[in-house]
Amino acid sequence: MSEQIFESAILITGFLLIISGCYCLIRTYHMIKIIIGIEVAMKAVSMFIILSGYISGNEDLAQTFVITSIVIEVVVAVVAAGIAINLYRKYGSMDIRNLTKLKG
Amino acid sequence: MEAVVYTCLGLMLVFGILAVMLHSMLKSAIALAAASAALGVIMYELGAIWAAIFEVSVCSGLVTVIFISAISLSNTDKKDLPKLYEDGKRMAFLPLVLIISGILLIVVAISSVSSLPVPTPVAEVADNFREILWNHRQADIWGQIIVLITGALAVAVLFKEGELP
Repeated sequence: MSEQIFESAILITGFLLIISGCYCLIRTYHMIKIIIGIEVAMKAVSMFIILSGYISGNEDLAQTFVITSIVIEVVVAVVAAGIAINLYRKYGSMDIRNLTKLKG
Repeated sequence: MEAVVYTCLGLMLVFGILAVMLHSMLKSAIALAAASAALGVIMYELGAIWAAIFEVSVCSGLVTVIFISAISLSNTDKKDLPKLYEDGKRMAFLPLVLIISGILLIVVAISSVSSLPVPTPVAEVADNFREILWNHRQADIWGQIIVLITGALAVAVLFKEGELP
């Protein structure tokens, strides 16, 4: 029973983090804040993968998936930060509404 | 073990919400790093040692450095941020959304707690991780290499010093 409460606590925390990240994605216009929202949601997903490995007893496979997701997370953060910096250089702000003005 | 995980879950939730809600981007980046560190401890306690090392070193370290570099390259006055992006107004409902979602999730968890699976005992797996990563998940390794090269090329293209026609 205590194990099931333990799993429930992890699941609830993860879902709340995903809701926070998605709310941030929907409601903010700041590019860096949007990347932070994606990162927050990704952390919850990593936690779910590790929890699934813990439950099934197959933690090694879960770890390999988490490492892959971490690599993708970093590359997404780097590319998005690069776009944000270029956006700032071009328009003087990191407001994503400026992205609609870009051509090409 | 459970006390540590519960504490880190609480810290991760608090820092995750702070990362989303704070006006200052620098404080947000630092809160995200703290959430990553808490997640690293949870992973370690759940037996995922290598993933915990990656989480702490890469997500808590490298990603924070990237964010701080991006923030330092954009010198927006901190006082202007809430005015520019109206984050104060836009994020004001997040605590309410989280409280309602939290109550709903707790109700669902209480009603379905008996149907959750019980963890199976974890075997000693130090060598198995290596075997799975390098022998069974080679496609993932190649995928990671391709993603890293693509990211490096994307950054090189984004910061290319070219003359406008």
